[in-house]
Amino acid sequence: MSSDPYSAVVREYFRNPKHVGDLEAAVIGYFLDQGMHIRLAATVAGEQITEMRFRVWGCPHVVAAAEATCRKYQGGPVANLEEFDSARIMQDLAIPIEKTGRILVLEDTVRSLAQAIRDSA
Amino acid sequence: MTRRPEDVYLDYAATTPVDDRVVARMLDIQTTAFANPASNHAAGRRSMTVVASAARQLGELLNVNPDLLLWTSGATESNNLAILGAARHRAHRGKHLVTMRTEHKAVVDVFQQLEKQGFSVTWLHPDANGRVTPDGLAAVLREDTQLVSIMHVNNETGIVQDIATLGAVCRQHDVLFHVDAAQAVGKVPLDLQEMPVDLLSLTGHKFYGPQGIGALYVADRVGTRIEPLMWGGGQQRRLRPGTLPVALIAGLGMAAEISASVLEAENLRLAELRDTLWQGIRKIDGLQLNGDLGSGYPGILNVGIHNVEGESLLLALEPLCVATGSACNSQNQEPSAVLRAMGRSDLEAHSAIRFSFGRQTSIDDVKFAAQTYRSAVKRLRAMAPEHDA
Repeated sequence: MSSDPYSAVVREYFRNPKHVGDLEAAVIGYFLDQGMHIRLAATVAGEQITEMRFRVWGCPHVVAAAEATCRKYQGGPVANLEEFDSARIMQDLAIPIEKTGRILVLEDTVRSLAQAIRDSA
Repeated sequence: MTRRPEDVYLDYAATTPVDDRVVARMLDIQTTAFANPASNHAAGRRSMTVVASAARQLGELLNVNPDLLLWTSGATESNNLAILGAARHRAHRGKHLVTMRTEHKAVVDVFQQLEKQGFSVTWLHPDANGRVTPDGLAAVLREDTQLVSIMHVNNETGIVQDIATLGAVCRQHDVLFHVDAAQAVGKVPLDLQEMPVDLLSLTGHKFYGPQGIGALYVADRVGTRIEPLMWGGGQQRRLRPGTLPVALIAGLGMAAEISASVLEAENLRLAELRDTLWQGIRKIDGLQLNGDLGSGYPGILNVGIHNVEGESLLLALEPLCVATGSACNSQNQEPSAVLRAMGRSDLEAHSAIRFSFGRQTSIDDVKFAAQTYRSAVKRLRAMAPEHDA
């Protein structure tokens, strides 16, 4: 059992995120809860997400999960956003169970983004 | 005391590395004075001589009769023994007790247990500077008040209470005065002949001694009696039974002697380190000092920062080894009770970082810490959705 609360991938995504920032003419999803603020931005062409960026005010696990989310959905179909799975991302990043509530805020943000894309279509 | 090259250890308030001379002393004692000091034979008497010598060394640091020191496992046990022991012994006289909101958990939790057992506790709030005034203390004392417990140096902020004056207030009201001096002994001058203190807790690992050994000073004064928490072989005047750990005690004694010899010069150096760090970060927008540079213990600098999330800040500060709030509480995500009592918001308390320095800290270490802190704040703010998040 590791005494380090952060997995190697969480450390890497927190230390060197590739998707922090904003995008011009992007669709925005955001959520504010549990003392955190998450913002996802996406540009869409047809049914494809061409680029994704995030901004987070939150703990390292949420920062890493937001980076993982951008990596996963950028370049894929918009419909994939509907399949966002908090449990899966927690498993992939070895996020401890006590952070579930915070990852659910990210899930809410992803759903907010998906709704915003549908509304803008 | 070899430091891993990737670490910059700035968490001396949590624990200090054991001094090399202390290690050497303990290793020697493990082989030369291994016998039980309670044994009535030559080897046992050699061990008891070592224990007596360590008590003398600690007694000189505190300027007290070494016979008035009880060996314990550390400050938590000392606090428990002092507070529970005194409250229970005097319960027939009254059940009112006084302490502060800014005490260490090892005191707070004990008083909360006593509340469950029918004692009434007044929890003093600090003023804006984190202190309790003599008038503030006197105002809450009652006919049935039996014990006041106030820490000397706050473990999170380095704020120093005026123990001599507060102790005098207690004496005037015939109330026992306990001081949690875990962060003070070996770090700030302490003369218990000049300070009206009845019970004083300390631990070795805060001043370059080993972990697992501490002491409780119990004044030789009418009314200063405590009940034991454990029963057994009758050692230490039946107040704290159990076989004495001779090597640990010898190590604590050696640490006390070394601290006494370097304390004054070391504090001047620590003040320079703290001020260098403070100068390196103080212009950051939204920085908040949690403490008092003028009269606080110079080995601690606690700062909060607006618009930065605390847990991310702690990780972004690696390879600095620093603390958020109380080190004993670092697994807990609750905001620091000390900082909340000082009027900080939850967010402000969450963002607080405690830098604490010691004998191995160099000026380069604190310059690196300042640079790392500035970079981390800048990066995390750039990552946030907006600055008023």
